[in-house]
Amino acid sequence: MSTTRELMTQLRARMGCADPLPPPPLATEITPPPARVFPTTIERNGYAEAASHHTTAMVGIGAVGTRYATDIVLQFQAEMAVAREAVATELPPDWAASHGLLPLQSRVHDHREFLLRPDLGRRLDDDSLARLRAQADKGVDVQPILADGLSGVACMETGLELLATFTRECETRGWRVGTPMCARFARVWLSDEVGQEVGARVAAILLGERPGLGTGDGLSAYLVYEPRIGKTDSERNMMSNIHARGTPPAQAARRLALLAGAMFDQRRSGVTLDLAPLAADLGEAAGQGYREPQRRERLVETSK
Amino acid sequence: MILEPILPTVLAVRQIHAAAPAVLTSYGGDPGRHASLGLITCDQDDPTYVALDEATKHADVEVVYARSFYAGSSHASGPLSGEILGVLAGPNPTEVEEGLRAAVRCLEHDACFYGANDDGSIALFPHVVTSIGEYFAREGGLEMGDSMAYLVAPPMEATVGMDAALKAADVTAARIFGPPTETNFAAAWLTGTLSACEAAALAFAEGVVEVARQPREDR
Repeated sequence: MSTTRELMTQLRARMGCADPLPPPPLATEITPPPARVFPTTIERNGYAEAASHHTTAMVGIGAVGTRYATDIVLQFQAEMAVAREAVATELPPDWAASHGLLPLQSRVHDHREFLLRPDLGRRLDDDSLARLRAQADKGVDVQPILADGLSGVACMETGLELLATFTRECETRGWRVGTPMCARFARVWLSDEVGQEVGARVAAILLGERPGLGTGDGLSAYLVYEPRIGKTDSERNMMSNIHARGTPPAQAARRLALLAGAMFDQRRSGVTLDLAPLAADLGEAAGQGYREPQRRERLVETSK
Repeated sequence: MILEPILPTVLAVRQIHAAAPAVLTSYGGDPGRHASLGLITCDQDDPTYVALDEATKHADVEVVYARSFYAGSSHASGPLSGEILGVLAGPNPTEVEEGLRAAVRCLEHDACFYGANDDGSIALFPHVVTSIGEYFAREGGLEMGDSMAYLVAPPMEATVGMDAALKAADVTAARIFGPPTETNFAAAWLTGTLSACEAAALAFAEGVVEVARQPREDR
């Protein structure tokens, strides 16, 4: 009922008019929505659950009605936090030198700029360029570059192991491997400039990859034949998910060496590189081979 | 039987989804901001002004045009003319539709004239707007959200009533529309706190009823 109508009702009573007013027009009746029933039990698809034993991806998690189970939501948030922390981790400036690597840095000055300006992360700053020209071996077959990329954690954790095993794999094949180096605030395309400067036939940048759920420590490797500034992504071959729960570094190093070998044979890289002859050697990367059952690591314990 | 509601009748409600620019501009719209028009006619003008202001609180619409017709709905040009044409303008048909819906709701359930005498031949509009919208704020030089007493009655009754209202409550006159308005009434927009506006509306209604009861003080 409106305020004015109430006021007028008061006034009528005061002025001695006792008979009731006609009823106000009825408001349109609004039908309530149908009662909703919220289920409380988790429903799982048997196939998806079976598949979930073979991957750390979040499959087979079931649903409670139309929602995730609380436990899943908590795991999800915890893994999200791990991913965000990995992005926020900075590679310390002296880390490369203290591990015997040639320290390089892109034109980026700080971490925030690194996240916002991919273009600056693709070129070396002047000091680094001078250092590279002065100290790195020239005319090599393979130039591996360790870099932080989007996960400094991955670089510091498994980066050294991958660099060492990859170098060893290349050397056993009789290739000349370039000076070990580590680039800070680096994007993938930085390998073009480095490779061009040292005159490498293949540049391989091993860098922390954009973290996903539960994988803050994954490395990616990008290989390019005859690196030159201006090479595009279609001229690169890459391998992702290099970490203990994905492709272990030792296995990854072997496959990367096979890829580099194919590049030397075919004198190209990228989408035109024919991987068919490598199918047998690449093993499960080509969709063959058995994969051990995997168990997803729980980051949060819930009581039930 | 006094102060009985005289319910307004909404006569026509129409939307023009994409108004012709010439129509839009001649009714006060801005083609840069407005595309759609919503039209409403009603047999009571003042409740419709209130309803149009109410619409601006419910949707992204502006009251671009609202004018009463001369001598009121008893002398209307047609059965759908009533005593006012109100025009809402908005950026899209959906906003205008929502605005019209709010206006019609207000006319059907809130704003109406009341009868000051037994047969309702003397009509008064002692309406309190708790919180005004963009239209009244613009027209009355007030702030959106202020309270307002919108008081209307025939010339003699209104003059006595608005004087009583201004004396009875701590209100100020935002605008006074002296007689004759288009419909030959007189009106006042008073503003103050909500309780002051309510007290003003009560005093106004009481004053109008008193005049209706005793038109000739000299006898």
